[in-house]
Amino acid sequence: MSTNSNAYGSGIMAKTGKAFADEYFSEENQTVHESNEVVLVLKKSDEINSVVHEILLGDRKADNPTLIVEDRAGYWWLKATGKIEIDCTEVSELLGKHYSVYDLLVDVSSTIGRAYTLGETFTITSELMGLDVKLQDLQTA
Amino acid sequence: MAISAATKAATDALAVNRAPVSVGAQEVHRWMQSFTWDFEKNRTKYSTKYKMANDTKEQFKLIAKEYARMESVKDERQFGSLQDVLTRVDAANRVHPKWNESMKVISNFLEVGEYNAIAGTGMLWDSATAPEQKNGYLGQVLDEIRHTNQCGYVNYYFAKQGQDAAGHNDARRTRAIGPLWKGMKRVFSDGFISGDAVECSINLQLVGEACFTNPLIVAVTEWACANGDEMTPTVFLSIETDELRHMANGYQTVVSIANDAAASKYLNTDLNNAFWTQQKYFTPVLGMMFEYGSHFKVEPWVKTWNRWVYEDWGGIWIGRLGKYGVQSPASLRDAKKDAYWAHHDLFLLAYALWPTGFFRLSLPTAQEAEWYEANYPGWYDMYGKVYDEWRARGCEDPNSGFLPLQWFIENNHPIYIDRVSQVPFCPSYCKGASTLRVLEFNGKKHSFSDQWGERMWLSEPERYECQNIFEQYEGRELSEVIAEGHGLRSDGKTLISQPHTNKDGKLWTLDDIKKINCVFSDPLKAL
Repeated sequence: MSTNSNAYGSGIMAKTGKAFADEYFSEENQTVHESNEVVLVLKKSDEINSVVHEILLGDRKADNPTLIVEDRAGYWWLKATGKIEIDCTEVSELLGKHYSVYDLLVDVSSTIGRAYTLGETFTITSELMGLDVKLQDLQTA
Repeated sequence: MAISAATKAATDALAVNRAPVSVGAQEVHRWMQSFTWDFEKNRTKYSTKYKMANDTKEQFKLIAKEYARMESVKDERQFGSLQDVLTRVDAANRVHPKWNESMKVISNFLEVGEYNAIAGTGMLWDSATAPEQKNGYLGQVLDEIRHTNQCGYVNYYFAKQGQDAAGHNDARRTRAIGPLWKGMKRVFSDGFISGDAVECSINLQLVGEACFTNPLIVAVTEWACANGDEMTPTVFLSIETDELRHMANGYQTVVSIANDAAASKYLNTDLNNAFWTQQKYFTPVLGMMFEYGSHFKVEPWVKTWNRWVYEDWGGIWIGRLGKYGVQSPASLRDAKKDAYWAHHDLFLLAYALWPTGFFRLSLPTAQEAEWYEANYPGWYDMYGKVYDEWRARGCEDPNSGFLPLQWFIENNHPIYIDRVSQVPFCPSYCKGASTLRVLEFNGKKHSFSDQWGERMWLSEPERYECQNIFEQYEGRELSEVIAEGHGLRSDGKTLISQPHTNKDGKLWTLDDIKKINCVFSDPLKAL
């Protein structure tokens, strides 16, 4: 089992029965706690499986050591601290065909955090886009 | 030749904003947003007390061409899978019979939510003034139309290809008698389309979609897979690929009002009301469908809720907005109690009222009872022993003459309906956050299960006048009501709903119900 705190079954989720109930109902857990994590749900497909295995868990794995990827039957569940970024120009090179950020969005099933696109990059971040950080438009020469 | 004012305006705008030479989607998106309209005379069905800023952005920078291409690829993949491989491998008949019944409820009810979200986001399009924000809402209107069709198709597919079609087809005809329908209309309809437009956005997008679609549309696919259902992941995960834009729309609604003075006065109350409204129904109903409507369990519902609702939605959406004055919902403590117990309370009542439904229920097996007790210590003493008693009295057998509803009457445990959420509750036999409160207004009594709904009712009691089944059918005999409310299969005598999913078990008919002579009474009249 992973020891990463972002893992699907980490923390309170590893507990069962009374131990789970004690922590779940504890006074400190009766209000929400600010989290700097982001969650991404990717629907399994030919392209997405390559993105997950070859890029996120392959070439780019060292970029984000907090990233956890779990197989939840029909989808991949991803959680990381700060942000997750997918550059679709890299995916195009990997797949050997044009693959735009909108092709990626065909299989991006859910996001918890602020997700946005800029050019061919998809980002999900814990930053408050539009409040703390301005959302950028594409800049062209 | 003189040119019209409109043509001159367009010509002038084009002189300043040259059309992009390339056709890159985001370049076109940026160019289009530099054209705007005068929305001062905007008219919408319900106005809002908030002022929405007119420079709000849309996070995905979608234009119609990319939108249409993206959605057509999604549909090709989804329908291709359903009509080709899943039909070829007879997937609909591989679904566990218990889960087959759950999908009668989940997909039929979600269809109603998607349908009402069309109107809800249409109203938001009318309310917003920022072109990009309008663009986001407009994309969502189109998405909701797609989702309505998808949900309808799921039930059509199950009915056509699978087992026990009754209830997958034409579930809506039982809407007058089914005790889950009216609560569903409260969250999936009223909450999305009636009242202040921004409040509707908070209900629909910030809570309904950003919070509860994750268990309802994402986590449900794990339960589906575990119980042999490959159709639901194929469709629901495709639906959810649009929901992320809806979550972003909800967030941008908040961004657009963040600097308005009204936000500091009203936003936390509106958020708490929306959270309680949505959780009051989704928490027990989803928990009941997942745990009691499955054979193979994925994880305790309370863990699913803790992950998606409390930790992720609470921490990542609401917690991060704390510095802008957004507070933890005041009702969270009660919601957490509900997430642990309310689905067990609801199943007890749903099973007691089974003849009024449009799906089949089955009592937990001994193996399941062990699972419940291990994950919810104290479950057996409260619920398990009751199910043992009902089973011993022959509740599944039409010849027994026993409906579990009789147990509540015999033991003096009256069942009430919460006026605001329309969710049934039994205050003298429950472990969720329900206590009985009764108020009188215009000569009529109203029951409430919690302070949060009661507060909402006190601020606008005329909004919650929906009759419940006990008021509507008081004095009427049950079999008469079932027949009148279209609760029968195509043979005209067998009930759609049944208290078991055993394919060899005997099915209850109208005559079996009639001989019990169960008559509706309104518990509020006895107070």
